[in-house]
Amino acid sequence: MGETEQKSNGNSRYTATGAEGFYVYCIADRASSLKILSTGSIPSAMEENTELEIITVDDLAAIVSRVPLSVFGEDSLDAHLSDAPWVTVRAMRHEQVVEHFARQTSVVPLRFGTIYLDRSRVEQMLAEKHDQLLPILERLRDREEWGVNVYCDRAVLLENITSLSPRLREMAAGAKNASPGQSYLLQKKIEALRTDEGKLEIERITKRIEERLSSLSEGASRLRVLKVETTEHGELRAKFAFLILKTKFEEFRGAAEEMAREIEAAGARIELTGPWPAYNFAA
Amino acid sequence: MSSTFDQVLVGSDVETFEETELSLLETLDHVLNRGLVIAGEITISVADVDLIFLGLNVLVSSIETANEVLRAREARSEVSQERPINQ
Repeated sequence: MGETEQKSNGNSRYTATGAEGFYVYCIADRASSLKILSTGSIPSAMEENTELEIITVDDLAAIVSRVPLSVFGEDSLDAHLSDAPWVTVRAMRHEQVVEHFARQTSVVPLRFGTIYLDRSRVEQMLAEKHDQLLPILERLRDREEWGVNVYCDRAVLLENITSLSPRLREMAAGAKNASPGQSYLLQKKIEALRTDEGKLEIERITKRIEERLSSLSEGASRLRVLKVETTEHGELRAKFAFLILKTKFEEFRGAAEEMAREIEAAGARIELTGPWPAYNFAA
Repeated sequence: MSSTFDQVLVGSDVETFEETELSLLETLDHVLNRGLVIAGEITISVADVDLIFLGLNVLVSSIETANEVLRAREARSEVSQERPINQ
């Protein structure tokens, strides 16, 4: 990937004399931000030869770095966005900066790709949004986001669905006692029903996971699945984000483990990812 | 390349947690699709984000495929390199 990045950068190498914009990673409180930036190792900024900076207004700080407008300007940014290796590298840098601050204080993470043309515009944004941002920072303090992915192995689900569904159990029993002709027709019907019941069962499981884990969280959100991914754990059926008090994580994890055991027979698995900056709870 | 955060797989077949590296795709999903959207002077539009993510999705899968091919090729070349040494 390093090589590709070099190539992508080739025609856009940035010189100090070029026009600069300010790329914003996240927003945090002023005192913590200053402290974090002055201690320990600091992650790389978006572009080479630039450093993370802090722009403050009152008690708020925007974590920013300078970016060349020859790359991040309106016209050239569009072109770069279709350059997948370029985006990947920058998205990871964005993430590493936000993570670095999120580990040490409450942050409002911004989505990738917010750029201001000069410092005063960032200050203006902080001043204008101050009364919205401050409550969000407080709401997210001492909390972190955990992702819950629900996977299902269709083959296992369908194999076990008969024992899981009362309706199917009844029909299967009926098929045993029926004449060969009737039994054949019943089998056909059972096959079709198995597929439907399988879908319902995974939806019921998903609902149960959502309810159980929501009760331990400070916020829950069901996310859309952009693309049906098939992984070694099966098919991705649902994605959730939960906002969890750090002190409650062990309890949350215990509940997730318990759920995982309960849904095993249905071929379903739970994957926890995190802790994330509270990307899904920042608005 | 992956996030430093943990990914915890809650396996029903394992008593303990399996902590693996977060997949690149999971991280990209968070960074690109979520987070507070403040209208900057230049902001990637929401419509663009889906396209970027789907593009990356393909890329990441192809990188993984490329790595597999590469590994297979390396394994083969190790075998073929033995020949000149033996001669």
